[in-house]
Amino acid sequence: MLAYIGRRALLAIFTVWAISVLSFVIIQLPPGDYVTSYIAQMASMGSVVTDEEAQNLRIQYGLGQPVYVQYLKWMRLIAQGNFGMSMEWRRPVTEVIGERFWLTVVVSVASLFLTWVLALPIGIYSAVRQYSVGDYVGTFVGFIGLAVPNFLLALVLLYLGFTLFNAHIGGLFSPELQDAPWSMARVWDLLKHLPIPALILGLAGTAQQIRIMRANLLDELRKPYVVTARSKGLTEIDLILKYPVRLALNPFASTIGYTLPYIVSGSIIVSLVLGLPTVGPLLLKALIAQDMFLAGTIVLLLGVMTVIGTLVSDILLVWVDPRIRLEET
Amino acid sequence: MLRSRFTIGLAVGALSIMVAAGALAQMSKSALIGKLEGPEVVTDPAKQPKQLKEAPQFAEMVKAGKLPPVAERVGQDPLVIKPLNEIGKYGGTWRGGFTGPADFWNGYRCCSGPDHLLFWDYTGDKVTPNIAKGYEMQDGGRTLVLHLRRGMKWSDGKPFTADDFVFWFEDIYRNKDLVPTPSAAMAINGKQGVVEKVDAYTVKFKFPEPYYTFPDVLAGSTDLGGQAWRGAFGLGGYAPAHYLKQFHPKYAGQAEVDKKFKEAKFDSWVRMFLSKNDWSQNPDLPVLSPWKTVTPANTPTWTLERNPYSVFVDTAGNQLPYIDRVVLTLAENLEVINLRAIAGEYDFQARHLDLAKVPVFIENQQKGGYKLYLDPGDYGGDMIIKFNLSYEADPEIAKWMNTADFRRALALGIDRDQINETFWLGTGTPSSVVPADNNKYNPGPEYRKLWATLDLKKANEMLDKIGLAKKDAEGYRLRTDGKGRLRVEIMTLGGQFLQFTQIAEMIREQWKKIGIDLTVQEVERSLALQRTAANEQQLAAWNNDGSEHLFTFPTHVFPFDAIAVVASSGPLYAKWFQSAGTQGKEPPARMKELMAKFKRAYGVPEKERIQLGKEVWKITAEEVYIIGVIGMGPASMGVRVVKTSMGNIPSRQYNSPDGKTPTISRPVTFFWKK
Repeated sequence: MLAYIGRRALLAIFTVWAISVLSFVIIQLPPGDYVTSYIAQMASMGSVVTDEEAQNLRIQYGLGQPVYVQYLKWMRLIAQGNFGMSMEWRRPVTEVIGERFWLTVVVSVASLFLTWVLALPIGIYSAVRQYSVGDYVGTFVGFIGLAVPNFLLALVLLYLGFTLFNAHIGGLFSPELQDAPWSMARVWDLLKHLPIPALILGLAGTAQQIRIMRANLLDELRKPYVVTARSKGLTEIDLILKYPVRLALNPFASTIGYTLPYIVSGSIIVSLVLGLPTVGPLLLKALIAQDMFLAGTIVLLLGVMTVIGTLVSDILLVWVDPRIRLEET
Repeated sequence: MLRSRFTIGLAVGALSIMVAAGALAQMSKSALIGKLEGPEVVTDPAKQPKQLKEAPQFAEMVKAGKLPPVAERVGQDPLVIKPLNEIGKYGGTWRGGFTGPADFWNGYRCCSGPDHLLFWDYTGDKVTPNIAKGYEMQDGGRTLVLHLRRGMKWSDGKPFTADDFVFWFEDIYRNKDLVPTPSAAMAINGKQGVVEKVDAYTVKFKFPEPYYTFPDVLAGSTDLGGQAWRGAFGLGGYAPAHYLKQFHPKYAGQAEVDKKFKEAKFDSWVRMFLSKNDWSQNPDLPVLSPWKTVTPANTPTWTLERNPYSVFVDTAGNQLPYIDRVVLTLAENLEVINLRAIAGEYDFQARHLDLAKVPVFIENQQKGGYKLYLDPGDYGGDMIIKFNLSYEADPEIAKWMNTADFRRALALGIDRDQINETFWLGTGTPSSVVPADNNKYNPGPEYRKLWATLDLKKANEMLDKIGLAKKDAEGYRLRTDGKGRLRVEIMTLGGQFLQFTQIAEMIREQWKKIGIDLTVQEVERSLALQRTAANEQQLAAWNNDGSEHLFTFPTHVFPFDAIAVVASSGPLYAKWFQSAGTQGKEPPARMKELMAKFKRAYGVPEKERIQLGKEVWKITAEEVYIIGVIGMGPASMGVRVVKTSMGNIPSRQYNSPDGKTPTISRPVTFFWKK
């Protein structure tokens, strides 16, 4: 087992390196650089960047150098634990991301939590009472959630919130608590703002998980061991929760690899629409502005999280399902 | 980009817009656009207030001995501003929105004062003293003498003197690491000027040749436009020497500076130095502006608070500003800003408000407790179409774009009324590119409609006559080289203040009637810049905001900037112009005449300059180097939402990059009535 983990870890390091090269190359692919997008941004705000200023910026940021030189420079910085300076924010990248990282985790964990809390019981119910009215209702709602683009849902909720309830628009905090130090009031404020984004973000995932849970459970329910257990007189609840549900949970464990990066950036458009101060909009803006160190670091972070997530889910699967065994070589 | 994507958001409110559109139709354009007005700078020493007063919190600090008395803080020569309507009251917060560190203007335009040495009066036409108490030209326009205010202080209480100009010039501007390429604003005919100290409160800017436009350059949005505007680029004209020396190798030593930038995780000492001199991002920076940054623009909330050493006072002697703090909250996208404005969550906001949403703004005025104002610009083009006159990739297209009658015919083929009604809700003016009639460089009323009306018959005749009479089965004109239909391409950018792509699509339909096949191509903005720089652009849609200040904002009048421009009327000609004929391509005679007049105007007194400016506009309008579509409209930052309880609000303000609107209306005089 240890050797297995060790081998996986080594591979992971190589993968992360490959990701860093790839992400840097991808960021360099679009035409122009930070200075061109800066000029364009100035222009669209009714201002002009002089030719001299554009030249000065290129010299100062070292943008004229070949791509591999810029990459090596970045790698050297990372080796020193410094991810570089965001060109747009003019602050260290770690600071810019760090601030938003924990809020992102809070929002995403809340939506994941909501997803599971809704999806598991509904999925189990749908499977056990297949083709009942409840199953149809659950399926119907689930498919709506899957079919409606969640940013549209976000817009509708924003508009209704404004016209019907006069609610504060967007964001995770009321304006007066925006910059306040952490306190009970601020946590409470965050909790009050959390349900809508969590619900919107969670809805599509919920539908998906309901379907997966239902399908898996249906497979399991027909297996002989269930009949055997039932014939031995186990109560229905004990029976279902102890064996088939546990087996049907496998896909949940194996999706953790994708869940971790999702926690950081799975909600770019919804976050934009709702004005959430999370990492998603930051990544989008960094890509548009060609702020290469910031975009590169976020992409790298996502890569690392996918790698770690996959590792964790592999280990988790072995643990959850004893039937899965490592092949000893 | 985001803007167009999320206009879907508008669909949600479509119903309410339909209802409100009816309401708008009943309100005439004149009801929404008020009279141009604004506060004035009092320069007469006899009218100076005798006694100075201050905000209550400062009075308390003075009592507690934490702050020197107000008279000492302001100095002997305050910058006196006569408020628009009345003397205001101290207190309160001004709430607004911004979209991130790149959206520097939001805070800059409200709160910088401005800290220009000279600035404009509220009409945007006349240069007035500002941070500098006065100025005079000497030596036949070769020297500008600036008189500073005696006893004026930086926001940390240290004196602001001529030494801050010399430090800026010698140690920042002339340092090749900080400013690798010298600024064109500091040069006349390519020859750089120098800054000299006469005494503590007198500074000279000296040039080798007459530079009569220099006061306008100091007042305009140029490289010498003050610390808040240009400090972060090592420009601005002055800098707080006593503070910045600790980050400069000449004073602090290279080893010490190297240690500092590494600790702060900067890439180089240059980046650290410039970021220390960044008005919007460094709360420790001593400033001259009436409000100063407390939490910087690269955090979720950009907060600015009153500067205890502000030199601005009203006519009753109250130290300005009236409003204590300005809080700008980060909105991740423009729809959120618009929706928050509609909900009344902003007290004064003009940037990013969408003209298309005017009906919704009007509908919610009562509920949101605000009033909607429109501030049309003085420039002739909310939307213009630039021909790339130095285009080379397709000789046939290049030939036609260089034929004046081809350009004129295309200009006559546009139904501007339809466009105005659809996209400006009728609030703009169909126009050529020339600035508003009251502008000093306006060549005359007859130029407003010159080649800027709909005349399909004449347009068709002209096109037939120049040799484009042959048409294909669908009625489109054919190329003369036998390569099929004459297709011209227009480049547009999404996500701007106006929906250029959609308007261009409408023009495409209109040009069918004159047999011109227009291809509309929306491109990503970096690509647009690259294509322009590579001389690959044919037509391009943009605006000419700022062009009413011909000599400080000429980018959209003729090929002026070579690199940094999203739509160009001839990048090779611009190169030729900037390099004084050593690079690029020589323009045709009429264009050369225009360029010569423009260049000459910098070195002659104002009266002659105005005449030359008029001639420059005459040539542009006659030659139609650029097609004017709709002008003098409020599309670009001219939709303004202000709380009804805010005082000294002009019913219409001069709207322009050079006016840094609303700075031109002196937000230091805005106040809360209750």
